[in-house]
Amino acid sequence: MTVKLTYDMPELVTRAPLDIHRSTVLPEWVDWNGHMNVAFYVAAFDQASGSFMRNMGLGRNYVDNKLGMTFVLETHVTYDREMRGGAPMRFTTQLLDRDAKRVHVFHEMYHAEQGYLAATNETIVMNIDYATRRSAPWPKQAAERLEAVWATHKELPRPAKSGRMMGLKKS
Amino acid sequence: MIDLDPGAPLDIHRAKVLPEWIDWNGHMNVGYYVVAFDKATDTLCQQFGVGWEYTREKIGMTFVIEAHVTYDREVKEGDGLRITTQILDHDAKRIHYMHEMYHADEGYLAATNELMLMNIDFATRRSAPWPDWAMPRIEKAATAHARLPRPKQAGRLIGIKRK
Repeated sequence: MTVKLTYDMPELVTRAPLDIHRSTVLPEWVDWNGHMNVAFYVAAFDQASGSFMRNMGLGRNYVDNKLGMTFVLETHVTYDREMRGGAPMRFTTQLLDRDAKRVHVFHEMYHAEQGYLAATNETIVMNIDYATRRSAPWPKQAAERLEAVWATHKELPRPAKSGRMMGLKKS
Repeated sequence: MIDLDPGAPLDIHRAKVLPEWIDWNGHMNVGYYVVAFDKATDTLCQQFGVGWEYTREKIGMTFVIEAHVTYDREVKEGDGLRITTQILDHDAKRIHYMHEMYHADEGYLAATNELMLMNIDFATRRSAPWPDWAMPRIEKAATAHARLPRPKQAGRLIGIKRK
């Protein structure tokens, strides 16, 4: 039995990549190196994942109504340039793959004014049943929205920084 | 400088899940796993004499340039964490290593974090070779850690695996 989403859905954005999430580097995210600490890039990207999930109809309401949750299973970050306190961030998100209960997404974080790429984050998010805290299929309404997103995103080229394996490249 | 710990893996970092690390799912948020792991990186850097004082004295810094996290199990507010660190590889200015986070009481693996750390010159904020006091320490630890089996989470690619 699939969970029925009983709250109002936001208007679906199918434009590819998704380019709606904006944020600002908070003072408390800055470390002793004078830039945004590595962990808070992940916190910032997690909020971009939240925007993606909200577009699927699985935002905060999904948890507050005790219908379900979404958990990140795995994540890969490239740190490309430093960001200082107060820097504005623009995120784009590309759906790379999906199945009955998971999405594989790729975020890019840009400095919103200077335009440079600050970091990328490739991540797998899984749908979770609220009661059992175990994986479960996407609710039907969310799955339909996901397919509409996939129809446009699958046409995008694969990002150069996706599918990376870590290691020292020795020349 | 502190004495170099001979353990392989390095098994000295301990932490506790703070209330502000919990999200609306009632568990430690994905970003704060990385906060906890980054503090374990500080512990590693301390071993090599490139910790907080290294930056405070305006000598250098260490920047993470890439990270991979597997979230294996949930941890809750107040849980004790034990984080071990294994060096996988290194060169003149980088260290490739893996942290494993365990629930300190229940013993289960909660998460892993594979990282690439680079030494940075304080003035130029550009990559630079490890300082001369750090390199022998890194070599010594790397040699000890080289005897360990490679963690199965190392070198992972992200993707949806289909059966």
